[in-house]
Amino acid sequence: MGAPLALAAMGGYTSERSGVINIGLEGMMLIAACMTAVVGVPYGAVAGLAAAIASAIALSTLHWLMTQKFSVNHVISGMGINALAAGGSSFVFAIYGDPKHEGGVPQLSVWIFFVIAVISPALLWLYAGRTRGGLRLVAVGADPDKSRLMGLQPLQIRFVALVATGLFCGLAGALLVSYVGVYTNNITAGKGYVALAALVVSGWRPIPALAVCLALGFFTSLQYRFQGTGFLHWIPSQAWQSLPYLLTIIALAGFLGKNRTPAGLGKP
Amino acid sequence: MNFAVEMQGITKRFGGVTALNSVDLQVESQTIHALVGENGAGKTTLMRVLYGASPADEGSITLKGQRVRHLRSKDAIAAGISMVSQHYTVIPELTCLQNLMLGAEDGPIIHPAKSEEKAEALAQRMGFSFDWHRPAAELSPAGAQKLEILKLLWRNAELMILDEPTAMLSPSDSEALFASLHKLTHEGATVILVTHRLPEVLEHCKAVTVLRGGMLVSEKQVSETSGAELTRMIIGADLPSARPSLRNEPGELVLEVSELAVKGDRHNVAVREVSIAIRAGEIVGIAGVDGNGQRELFQALAGVRKVAKSQIRIDGHELQSTADGLKRGLRVIPEDRQEEGVIESWSLESNAALGLQRLSPLAKGALIASQARRRWAATAAELLNTKYVGLSQPMSSLSGGNQQRFVAAKALGLAPRLLLAFQPARGLDIGGTLDLYREIRKACDEGAAALLVSFDLDELLDHCDRILVMNDGTLVDAPPGSSREMIGRLMVGAE
Amino acid sequence: MWRLAALLTGGLAMLAGAMLISDVGPLHALRTLFEGSLGSPGAVAGTLRETSPLLLAGVAVFLALRAGLYNIGVEGQLIVGAAAATAIALQVSGPAGILLASLGGMAAGALWAFPAGWIKAYRNGHEVITTIMLNNIAIYFTGWLLSSPMKDPDQQSPTTGTIDAASRLPHVFSNPPLIISSGLVLGIAAVILLALWLKKTVAGYELEAVGANPVAAKYAGINARKSTLLAMASSGAIAGLAGAVQVLAYEGRFYTGFSPGYGFDALGVAILAGSNALGVIPAGLLFGILAKGGTALQIEGVPKGITTVVLGFLILFAAAVRYRQVKAVA
Repeated sequence: MGAPLALAAMGGYTSERSGVINIGLEGMMLIAACMTAVVGVPYGAVAGLAAAIASAIALSTLHWLMTQKFSVNHVISGMGINALAAGGSSFVFAIYGDPKHEGGVPQLSVWIFFVIAVISPALLWLYAGRTRGGLRLVAVGADPDKSRLMGLQPLQIRFVALVATGLFCGLAGALLVSYVGVYTNNITAGKGYVALAALVVSGWRPIPALAVCLALGFFTSLQYRFQGTGFLHWIPSQAWQSLPYLLTIIALAGFLGKNRTPAGLGKP
Repeated sequence: MNFAVEMQGITKRFGGVTALNSVDLQVESQTIHALVGENGAGKTTLMRVLYGASPADEGSITLKGQRVRHLRSKDAIAAGISMVSQHYTVIPELTCLQNLMLGAEDGPIIHPAKSEEKAEALAQRMGFSFDWHRPAAELSPAGAQKLEILKLLWRNAELMILDEPTAMLSPSDSEALFASLHKLTHEGATVILVTHRLPEVLEHCKAVTVLRGGMLVSEKQVSETSGAELTRMIIGADLPSARPSLRNEPGELVLEVSELAVKGDRHNVAVREVSIAIRAGEIVGIAGVDGNGQRELFQALAGVRKVAKSQIRIDGHELQSTADGLKRGLRVIPEDRQEEGVIESWSLESNAALGLQRLSPLAKGALIASQARRRWAATAAELLNTKYVGLSQPMSSLSGGNQQRFVAAKALGLAPRLLLAFQPARGLDIGGTLDLYREIRKACDEGAAALLVSFDLDELLDHCDRILVMNDGTLVDAPPGSSREMIGRLMVGAE
Repeated sequence: MWRLAALLTGGLAMLAGAMLISDVGPLHALRTLFEGSLGSPGAVAGTLRETSPLLLAGVAVFLALRAGLYNIGVEGQLIVGAAAATAIALQVSGPAGILLASLGGMAAGALWAFPAGWIKAYRNGHEVITTIMLNNIAIYFTGWLLSSPMKDPDQQSPTTGTIDAASRLPHVFSNPPLIISSGLVLGIAAVILLALWLKKTVAGYELEAVGANPVAAKYAGINARKSTLLAMASSGAIAGLAGAVQVLAYEGRFYTGFSPGYGFDALGVAILAGSNALGVIPAGLLFGILAKGGTALQIEGVPKGITTVVLGFLILFAAAVRYRQVKAVA
């Protein structure tokens, strides 16, 4: 549960650090999960993964096009992306998907995804702090206008950032399917939003974001554990399930300490 | 003579307005060349053309003997042209070191130690010192200015354009800056200095170009001119005297501020225990170098910045909030009209009510009085001759100067009692400025009081009854009849 | 202009492609869509029924949008409003029950929106994240309500009992199969009231000023924080009312999956509506047609997802067009 969240959160990181608000993480993950199943069943796991990543990048590029070329509000574009993904995935799955497929979706080892999920935050941290590309990414997110004056090209930098977002969300979506071996409609069930919240709560920093995602994952598994036993049985399961969301709200209500929001978030 | 830059016949139009009309500029290599002129004379536009930020409509540019037709930003950077604009390009979220190298990094991988060494060497060459790994947000205005100059050095700039570099600097910092600029020219650089301050021109520059109204007035060697001659050329000799002949006998107390302290954005004390008393009929100006607390004081008086406790009284009533002040006749012309004064996507008509929306006759109880609002919008547009097509056109379709006219006119209507204005003539031409001050004077004759903040001392000397000088958060009265020089010394705390 | 044309062509090509792969001719699909939604009195009644909640929910989103807030939480506010209204209507019957249930729904919706408004106004936390979190909590919270306290013990599935016929909002037109509920009239009235309020009152003017330029609003003596908080709470109250009306006029009970995503569709409605509140009516109707016609398409073998794709496309297209208009006058 923590690993797909972390992968999606890293997708959110590259996007939001470059100044592009991205609530479309949900939709990108969803379309990726759908393609993993639809392409993976007939053509194999690797083709499924490739299709997952390609479809998420396609949506991410659309988000770039809408926000950067058409100056559409980032939140509205994200909602549009999510609607396209929700409708598109259920449509495609209804036609090409085979819910009764016996062997399930061919799976890659989930360990590959785990390794990527754990290593990429550290790599992104190094990238932001120690490379030219990372410095420019952060600068564009902090102030696109000043960055432009310094000879940077915010459009280009954000394009690369959003392609990376698509890549991460593609991995996250593929992992969701690889876990259970089947795809069901709306398999993401809001995980993209949770990943985004984890990113926000951790102050847009990759390593703390990983920690938050892993904590959420741990919490979820604990929940399942408790459900079976009589432990704290008087607390309804729904209260447990709400707790991560409630904690996110409390964290957002301040008490986070320093405001680390990229200053240029949402600016053209 | 060896020229670093020659610009010939540069013409630049914005819509129907000609911002530059066939302007020439020749800058000798390894000198400091001054570019002077009033606000709106075209200095910044000319420099933007040279920097490649906005291409000229006509004319040509010769860089080191090479003629270029369409100069783009990339070409300018390649030719070693760099500009420090009035608006700093330092990004507060990044460290000083990151700011220094941004856009001109040494390679795809950043080596902090190596970069710091190089940065430190540059800083030492200029006699600056920086804490490289601290966020640039912690820099003072002077520190940010120094970092901007180091950024030019990091980029191996050969031709540096500095736009009003000393506006935010103390006298000693300014001296240090010029010392380093002289050093740079000895080492081969060329500097174009855009400035308002004639003493800087006379003391530090080799040649000077004067622009007025988008036209070239003169290009001279500094040794062949004088301050008086430059002033005449900048303003234009045949200008009618703006000095009002009539000074009022002040009436009752309108604004009373006692021991007001205001904090700045960095939790510094920006305004220290300031007391002000302004009477009806008075126009009072606050002079000073930018960044000495004027902005914070102004915002506190307008009710948009928190003060420890209310020490501001209008007609004896404590100022509770901006809304409360507006009801008592407070009218504000904010500093940044686009961000603070108007809503650009709205029509002129809707904008006309902004800030006055709860006042009669624009509101009838909880409802908007549409007809009264339309009439008021037309009145406000006429008052200072805003050029517009229809009242339903969006504010964004007006030029900056026309927006300013509209914002200022709006503040002069519906029985103003206390006018607060921050650089009210910003973006206005000479005629517009005279119109504005005529109307301010008229309002004050009818019983209002006005408090104006401006960085242009001459504007204040021309139009105010009294001048207060702000320096490092404190406010002192300039004695009646103070000379320009005396006030100038007060501004830098030299007296 | 060419970019817009490219966007439109791309979108249409995609839709045509979708029709082709689902083995239904595009023209035939279009006919099915319109016949299924407008072709008969029964179809019209169904379309209007789909439109009704989108009007009130659309008003909720629109109001927040004018104050510069993205209230993604209308979905959650709507379902807690519906739950509260059901709880009250099950206890109190008749016109008093209708009134109390509506007020209860509004209160619940406002309460659910309040944290997001407060965090936005006083803590500068983005309302998009908080409202999404509140949506999830609303789903779990109402899920718990339906699992024990509010569950009708006689039913297998998680649902409440059905409210009294006397506590139902009356029909304004009834000639079966064409039935029009007063719920629809309430929705239309809410749109008109909002349009008038924004255009004619000082408070509406101030709210829009905060949405358009909060700094300028501050200089104009408007308390932006208070406005933000009020706008969010009012938006939540209207969303809660939408849920209450859905119970009182149509559903008669509250159950799991009560809202098929009205709150999200309402976002599309509000964005399509443009800058005038009255635009919510045609936009809501369009969404109603797509929802009802989509069901008809589904019977023909075109998966339902296609209508959501069309909605997503409309949202992006409308947002892009609006930008071009703003650019053109600038």
